Amino acid sequence: MTAGLPVEDRAPELVPLNAIFATDFVQILVPVTTADTMREVAAAVARHVEGKRVRALPYPKVVIHNGARLPDGMTVAEAGIKPLDHVTVEYDIPEGS
Amino acid sequence: MALLRREEWQGFVRDVDWTYSYVDDEAVYPEWMSGTGKVPREAWAAWEESYKISYPEYVAVQREKEASAYAVKAALQRSTAFDHLDEGWKSATKMHFGGVALVEYAAVLAELKMARFGLNGAWRNMATFGQLDEMRHAQITTFFGHEFIGKDAQYDWTQKTFHTNDWVPISLRNLFDGMMNSANVVDIAIELPLTFETGFTNLQFVALAADALAAGDVNFANMISSVQTDEARHSQQGGPTLEILVEHDPVRAQWVIDKSFWGSARAFAALTGPAMDYYTPLEHRKQSYREFMEEWIIDQFIRTIEDYGLKKPWFWDEFMRGLDVWHHGLHMGLWYWRPTLWWRPKAGVSRDEREWLAEKYPNWEQVYGDKWDVLIDNVNADNMEATLPETLPWLCSTCHLPCCNATQSRDGTWRVRDWRLDYDGRAYHFCTNGCRQIFWNDRDNVNHETLIDRFLAGQIQPMDVGGILGYMGMTPDTMGDDPDYTAWTRDYVGRPAEGLATAVQS
Repeated sequence: MTAGLPVEDRAPELVPLNAIFATDFVQILVPVTTADTMREVAAAVARHVEGKRVRALPYPKVVIHNGARLPDGMTVAEAGIKPLDHVTVEYDIPEGS
Repeated sequence: MALLRREEWQGFVRDVDWTYSYVDDEAVYPEWMSGTGKVPREAWAAWEESYKISYPEYVAVQREKEASAYAVKAALQRSTAFDHLDEGWKSATKMHFGGVALVEYAAVLAELKMARFGLNGAWRNMATFGQLDEMRHAQITTFFGHEFIGKDAQYDWTQKTFHTNDWVPISLRNLFDGMMNSANVVDIAIELPLTFETGFTNLQFVALAADALAAGDVNFANMISSVQTDEARHSQQGGPTLEILVEHDPVRAQWVIDKSFWGSARAFAALTGPAMDYYTPLEHRKQSYREFMEEWIIDQFIRTIEDYGLKKPWFWDEFMRGLDVWHHGLHMGLWYWRPTLWWRPKAGVSRDEREWLAEKYPNWEQVYGDKWDVLIDNVNADNMEATLPETLPWLCSTCHLPCCNATQSRDGTWRVRDWRLDYDGRAYHFCTNGCRQIFWNDRDNVNHETLIDRFLAGQIQPMDVGGILGYMGMTPDTMGDDPDYTAWTRDYVGRPAEGLATAVQS
């Protein structure tokens, strides 16, 4: 029923991603939805790796897509992230720490 | 009447051929099977094998080999040798039996194709012996593995592996279907006997037999040595084929060698690499995987291609850098996704083992040590859930192995990078630049779907870990697990451990 609407106005759609978390050794499959924010995408990727293979650090995380750091509150639809796209999730470590 | 001496008749019978009068040559040797390409048909008349054998000689020699291999097996069956083998070595043999038995059968089909469509009588003759060899290898490997099912159900995967959709056989089917089943006979002769057999397995089997003896597995050494003696003979079909192809179409010769070397090297990194550097007990390791590759594979390969006037493959630098990375990443992947394996992968990262790894691979601690430390701390915190997968690793659209090859940045850090290609309306991801390039060149011949493709297309139901394991044919009695967590974690008990998954969740 919402198919004709712009993607940000449609019901959430599944977006499977090729993702890597920080210094992890392997890319993984992580499903998110068009309605997820970057904060939620970062958490979804981190869930499989953080504290499991990569030691958790007390810093916020940032999603990088096509070389650009995306704002926490931006949704997958707004960011133009498509199914099968690659995202990197990094710790946003303040300079000098 | 006195029998003729061998040298009086063999030159006449070994390459029997004739000119067809009822049908066209093209009907007998169609291009899509025989693949002469730019090579003039008559050029194949010069094809000559370097080691000649007659059928009676072949039968006599093979009969002796079979009798000897099975006699040793029968004698050892009564001993308790198997019960005293290290699980690391046993797992290397489980991987071998499952990964190889039916590849040998696929090689029967490849040899039969050359026996029928080879462009010279001598070649077809050699391939006829070759297919008998491969039939023997399929049988002996299946039979030797089968013996142990009663002792350990994982050996059932000797015969089962290639009938499943486990990600390891999907990867191997993709490689060997391209090399053996879908190729024309000219490409087969260069990909299979020349690159894979002469380049990789013939020499690896010599090393593997020595490793088996060091591990105390006389039976496996007996089997693998018996197989290797055949490889040395039938693998010579590649040389004369390459000689003729290089003369008339060096670009094709170079491409076929490059592609098959790369594919073989990826498969070796996944299977031989972890077995040598992690599963083999430290006291039995004679050389690292990198040293083995340099001494046994690379030097010989370079000499061979230079002898034929070819160049190093375009990916050479990437391949050489990969010797410090590929199999370490794949080992960690095999271990983390261990419920998807039909063997018990040893982590192999005790303090002593890490010292050995760091000596052999100076970057090992920097690239892999931190991740193993987190896994070790999780095991020691009894947080086993954190060491088990909840999603799939991303699988490369060319080699179908996990995308897990870190490369070093100019600033010294190591990261796994995305090698992406957009083609025909969708995005593909690759583990390396080499795999991406091969996909692009071969894009119209690529038919295999990766496990990720299958999962996203809804072919795997339910879409969860249980569904994936079921799709792969995994059962609780054969599912892989580490054979001894204590062996590689006890050195680190009691050290402070921060940033573990439990701490994050609490």
